[in-house]
Amino acid sequence: MLLSALIWIPVLGAIAIALLPQSVPNLWARRMALAIALLVLLLLIPITLGFNPDHLEAQFSEYLPWIGVLGLNYHLGLDGLSFPLVLLNGFLTLVAIFCTRAEIDRPRFYFSLILLLSAGAAGAFLAQDLLLFFLFYEVEIIPLYFLIAIWGGGRRGYAAMKFLIYTALSGILVLASFLGLVWASGAKTFDYEPLRHHSLPMEVEMALLIMLLIGLFIKIPIFPFHTWLPDAHVEASTPVSVLLAGVLLKLGTYGLIKFGVGLFFKAWIILAPGLAILATISALYGAFSAIAQQDMKKVVAYSSIAHMAYILLAAAACTPLSMTAAVFQMVSHGLISALLFVLVGVVYQKTGTRDVTILRGLLNPERGLPITGSLMIIGVMASAGLPGMVGFIAEFMVFRATFAIFTIPTLICLVGTGLTAVYFLLMVNRVFFGRLPDNLAAIPRVAFQDHLPSLVLTALLVIFGLQPAWVVRWSENQATDFVVSPELRRPTLGTAVRSPLSAPSLVAPAISPTLSSD
Amino acid sequence: MVELLLQNIWLIPIYGLIGAILTLPWSFGFIRRTGPRPAAYVNLLMTLLSFLHGSIAFNAIWTHPARQVMWQWLQVADLTLTLKINISPISLGALEVITGISLLVQLYALGYMEKDASLARFYGLMGLFEAALSGLAISDSLLMSYGLLEILTLSTYLLVGFWYAQPLVVTAARDAFLTKRVGDILLLMGIVALSNYGEGLDFSQLASWADDSTLPPLTATLLGLALIAGPTGKCAQFPLNLWLDEAMEGPNPAGIMRNSVVVSAGAYVLIQLQPVFTLSPVSEIVLITLGTVTAVGGSLMAIAQIDIKRTMSHSTSAYIGLVFIAVGLNHVDIALLLLFTHAIAKALLFMSVGSIILTTSNQNITEMGGLWSRMPATTTAYVVGAASLITAFPLGEFWTMRRWLDGAWPIPPWLLVILGFVNILSAMNLVRVFRLVFLGPKQPKTRRAPEVPWPMAFPLVTLTLVALLIPTVPIRWTLWLSAGAPMLQVPPPWTITWGLPILIASGVIGLLCGFWIPLQRTTARPTQMGLRFFQDLFAYDFYIEQIYKLTVMNLVASLSRLAVWCDRYIVDGVVNLVGLATIFGGNTLKYNTSGQSQFYLLTIFLGVAALFWLIFSGQWSIVTSVWSLWFAGG
Amino acid sequence: MLTAPPIPFQPNINDFIARLEQGQALLHDSPENVIEVVGVLKSYGIVLDAYSRNLIYIANHQFLRLFPFFKYVNGDRSLPRLLKHWWHDRINYEYAEYCMKAMFWHGGGRLDAFLDTPEFATLAAAAIQARWRGNPAMLTLHKLFPDYLPEQVRQLCYYSALGQFWRVMSDIFIDLSDAYDHGEIHTVPDVVALILNGLVADASRPITYRVELRGQTYDILPPSQGLTFLMDTAVPYVEAVFFRGTPFPGTISYNAQAYQIPQDQDQFAYGALYADPLPIGGSGIPPTLLMQDMRHYLPDYLHAIYRDRLRQEDDLRVQICESFQKSMFCVTTAAIQGLAPHPFSTNDPTEKAANRAYLKTWLRRLQESRLSRVA
Repeated sequence: MLLSALIWIPVLGAIAIALLPQSVPNLWARRMALAIALLVLLLLIPITLGFNPDHLEAQFSEYLPWIGVLGLNYHLGLDGLSFPLVLLNGFLTLVAIFCTRAEIDRPRFYFSLILLLSAGAAGAFLAQDLLLFFLFYEVEIIPLYFLIAIWGGGRRGYAAMKFLIYTALSGILVLASFLGLVWASGAKTFDYEPLRHHSLPMEVEMALLIMLLIGLFIKIPIFPFHTWLPDAHVEASTPVSVLLAGVLLKLGTYGLIKFGVGLFFKAWIILAPGLAILATISALYGAFSAIAQQDMKKVVAYSSIAHMAYILLAAAACTPLSMTAAVFQMVSHGLISALLFVLVGVVYQKTGTRDVTILRGLLNPERGLPITGSLMIIGVMASAGLPGMVGFIAEFMVFRATFAIFTIPTLICLVGTGLTAVYFLLMVNRVFFGRLPDNLAAIPRVAFQDHLPSLVLTALLVIFGLQPAWVVRWSENQATDFVVSPELRRPTLGTAVRSPLSAPSLVAPAISPTLSSD
Repeated sequence: MVELLLQNIWLIPIYGLIGAILTLPWSFGFIRRTGPRPAAYVNLLMTLLSFLHGSIAFNAIWTHPARQVMWQWLQVADLTLTLKINISPISLGALEVITGISLLVQLYALGYMEKDASLARFYGLMGLFEAALSGLAISDSLLMSYGLLEILTLSTYLLVGFWYAQPLVVTAARDAFLTKRVGDILLLMGIVALSNYGEGLDFSQLASWADDSTLPPLTATLLGLALIAGPTGKCAQFPLNLWLDEAMEGPNPAGIMRNSVVVSAGAYVLIQLQPVFTLSPVSEIVLITLGTVTAVGGSLMAIAQIDIKRTMSHSTSAYIGLVFIAVGLNHVDIALLLLFTHAIAKALLFMSVGSIILTTSNQNITEMGGLWSRMPATTTAYVVGAASLITAFPLGEFWTMRRWLDGAWPIPPWLLVILGFVNILSAMNLVRVFRLVFLGPKQPKTRRAPEVPWPMAFPLVTLTLVALLIPTVPIRWTLWLSAGAPMLQVPPPWTITWGLPILIASGVIGLLCGFWIPLQRTTARPTQMGLRFFQDLFAYDFYIEQIYKLTVMNLVASLSRLAVWCDRYIVDGVVNLVGLATIFGGNTLKYNTSGQSQFYLLTIFLGVAALFWLIFSGQWSIVTSVWSLWFAGG
Repeated sequence: MLTAPPIPFQPNINDFIARLEQGQALLHDSPENVIEVVGVLKSYGIVLDAYSRNLIYIANHQFLRLFPFFKYVNGDRSLPRLLKHWWHDRINYEYAEYCMKAMFWHGGGRLDAFLDTPEFATLAAAAIQARWRGNPAMLTLHKLFPDYLPEQVRQLCYYSALGQFWRVMSDIFIDLSDAYDHGEIHTVPDVVALILNGLVADASRPITYRVELRGQTYDILPPSQGLTFLMDTAVPYVEAVFFRGTPFPGTISYNAQAYQIPQDQDQFAYGALYADPLPIGGSGIPPTLLMQDMRHYLPDYLHAIYRDRLRQEDDLRVQICESFQKSMFCVTTAAIQGLAPHPFSTNDPTEKAANRAYLKTWLRRLQESRLSRVA
């Protein structure tokens, strides 16, 4: 019941907030949302305590037959892959709600949508049924669409529509791939675990995987399917950006590992070099695009594209270390991008602009935003992979794992890491250094509570940077399991990559009796 | 007790870090009513603690065996990352130099920065600086050293950016970070590679690993080059040398650290990496080439500078260039000695420079003159520092050179030429600066020049005394790092017999040249075109910055513009035209179509709903037949 | 919030000249300006009092000490006082020394000239010998570096002189505040008039300096030199601190090759009338120390005004600096009036012309100052 609670408490809360009578002051909408987010976070405590990272099967499983004719079952479960992401989702939802000003327009609707969004993401991470995953994956689009379309900036209509079309397309492709898999393998249900042990012909698997990949690439996003993201970020309000970058993009990379690697391993191995190249292009493309941006949010958004690409690179390498690194990089990117969006949000809220050609000298201790600036420096350093913070060790693990397999792409991606420092320092030095101009000298004061989310996020970046094991331990076994079932192990991955034809022979269906009984 | 201190030597970086953290209430403005000086005192105390702890341990290590302490940091799949520190006379000696200089510099800063309201932030950064440096000194793990080098990069950025509102600082801090970052990224590539090839990432394992390494030559060369790149950036070697010049925009006490121990930190890592370079002759050649180019170029740039800090900083690059040459020649002990004597001499020179700047509110040496008789501590420090830097009997550099040329190592003639050249130019430049600043008539800006107050004068005098004592180190140095007994060649080649006399003679020539060259007071320019051309060429650092602007920076800017253009017109354009046109019957998604959003929304929902309807109504056959057709076709 | 950039305002010299000729001040006369100026001068008066006492204490009691550990505690070495001092819960006397050094460095006036005379050399030598009698090390050092100790004595003269100058100014500002509290000050010209009267009253107050060493008194600035308050401290002070100042490392690059700092000191324009208040509180901005000192002594009526503004307490020091700059223009007005060749109320055309020429030279220098923003 715990897992269902993670999904349905926010949903019920959303309904309750939406139905708050008009006589209740608007302030209460935010308070209630905060209380619900906090409750979800509290629920995660018993889950954390009870979660055993050594168990490879889904834990806290809930199984409820739903629509038998479709093979759709309400099957939830938590594994090492989804556990860190569920935690991230719970935490960032709280951050996002905390960052929202109480005096926002139509607060009831707003906070309901945020909670629905969070519930959708949690559902997708927990679903152990392909169709259920797809349902949550689609459902989460709708609140996000409204959040952008109603509370967005000047070109919100365009951005929301672009987002909607792209992600709907993504959903359709994912669904098509799932349907194809179920049909082709002749399975009775969409249950995840049994489907892993299909034995489809290579060409079918390949076609299904490509479809799935394109769908997920849109979500992550990977070049050339990325242009919806900067637009969506620029128009979205700060809390929405936090959730979008921190959690929702992770649905894509989560899908890559869980379904791409998990369901179509043979085809994945063959495609892997291509994926690595695509990841490299995406990383460089994001980095170079970020350099030329003048909107702080766009810089962070393009940086997101670059850093999400490393997850694809790691997933493509398909080694135990690279899979663990991929999960770690998801958490790391979630925290870092959340921090950066929160900080950009503070700058925007206080100065009314995010244009780096206008902003200047915000480190001014009396009239500027000195604490925001200091945290921003820490944040961009974390993003640039400065040791001691979570970005470094996550990326180091990625590169260390992928170097042996995709040497050149890894080296190029390392250049991309170097470029991170370029675009972020260009931004930070323009915005925070120099003399505060007179037209920026009337910035309202920043209350401590405006700093609270970024302070907590910064602390987490440092803590996990110094103690990466605290994150890695949850997912290591699970991530490893995707690639090291005895039959699936590749002695030297390099050979498998260089001779794709030999790859299928390395893979055989591994049937686990306990799981197939479901 | 002593054993306890030795075993817990890792606490020393932690002291610095604690000091840095304790400054936060002031630097974040949580304490506003009272001033920030307690933050400075806390850091001074912490540094004193580090120094005392280090000193006791350093005294004890001679009677205790060297050892390593190891922690496992992270174990994932096939990756095991350990942090390892090395407790040996060398690492503790390095620690002693770092904490000692840091202690003096922090005391010095108490005077130099006394009228700066952001004292807390400054000391916090110095604490971070010291923590990273002392960590580097004892680190025996390449990964940990890399991490600490990056922390150094960050704190250099923040220290150079200390006066963040000053326009030149904005670019200087950025360039310092990015230039070092170029080296760091290449170094990271090397580490990632090494971590894949090697057993572990420990310096002490590198030597044995290098001995039985079977890396192909090309790989070994590339690996060596990548590992060289990090120290190249950190040590301000060509072609990553310009940041040090720009970094002079930062406060002088940080400049003392930077020019003495921080640049040395990079070279220290280089020395520890030396076994890897033996794998490939190319990386040794590259080391020697970089070192030579920087030593010669840096010396030339130094003599054309009119800024007192910059003329010293270019000389720093030049001397670290000599260290690179020494590492390239496998003269590792000499490299370490060079680093040590240079660090002390340069720290002393920079302290002296700082008190000149503070007293005269000026950095332009052509506007100075006549300071010597009013500033005894400053003048003495300058003279001793300068004499320690050139090969002058009986100070540090002389004895280091003597060790180098005593026959234990083969000395190729070209090395002697480079050493002589650097020595001549260095002596000439130091004399030139001395004449401009301390001798001659008073100028308006040096008309009133009282000696600096005690917080600055005391470290100046102390370090002067230290500089007078340090020749004992090269004299008594036992060759710690060089494997095997040095080979004495019989009969010694001429480079050995005549090496030291040649160097001494070059120093004398340099001194005479320095006294002989006409001085440029105020901003009068030489009239001959030729002279002027060379002066500008050297003064503007061989126009390397302009070359970078035209090449690397231009390339990055063009690529980024290309990416944006591609985004706007190709990716979005194709998506808009092709993809959506087919879905929505020719309606392209333009940037102003928000009015039609209802329609799109409806379409999407209809599409999804249709899909669901197909599923829910159990009409599998339609879907499956489509699929089977698709696959049959494909 | 982003606001529209301020409209560039070119101060018209003639407007200001006309204003001054009518007996008005450089600073626009408004009730709010009066409150700000009087309030900030009150706290400034209190801070100057502390500065002045300390400078004089150092000059008299820390004469040529090599390690003046306790130079800021004015002889009170009780533990609570020292703890308070080390916790930095104290006046930033460093700023007083900073002003002193600026004044010493820029020079000007007969005090500066006297320090280069043989007469001063003799006086200083006597004091130096008395101070280091029986200390061969220091006497040897003195022989090796013969100008080291005399230069220190010259600096001590400026300690004393600035201390004496600020003594007078502090009293004037406190008097001003008292007069305001008694309801005697209503307009900016009232403020100027009171300051002017104070300056005039003490104009010829002698500036002298003598130290007591081993029970004997040594004259360093003897009364016979006839150094006076107005011409030998006030005028050089205004020149050095109000006009020239020294470049702040937090805003100006000292890089010689960047040529941001003029070669001639008389082209320096970094003084109190020119400095930009916005970076106050940041690094490398020495006046932050003064603003930090003044924040403790703000009268409640002024503090209340500051607290009502957008950033409340957050930008207190910038607000103080803005008010302070206003008040410094009042002091400048008083100086202009006091040093004028003829009273501004004169009707004699030749006198009027002389006054006008005089005012023009002042205002030309003030053209680039913050006057246009403040007035």
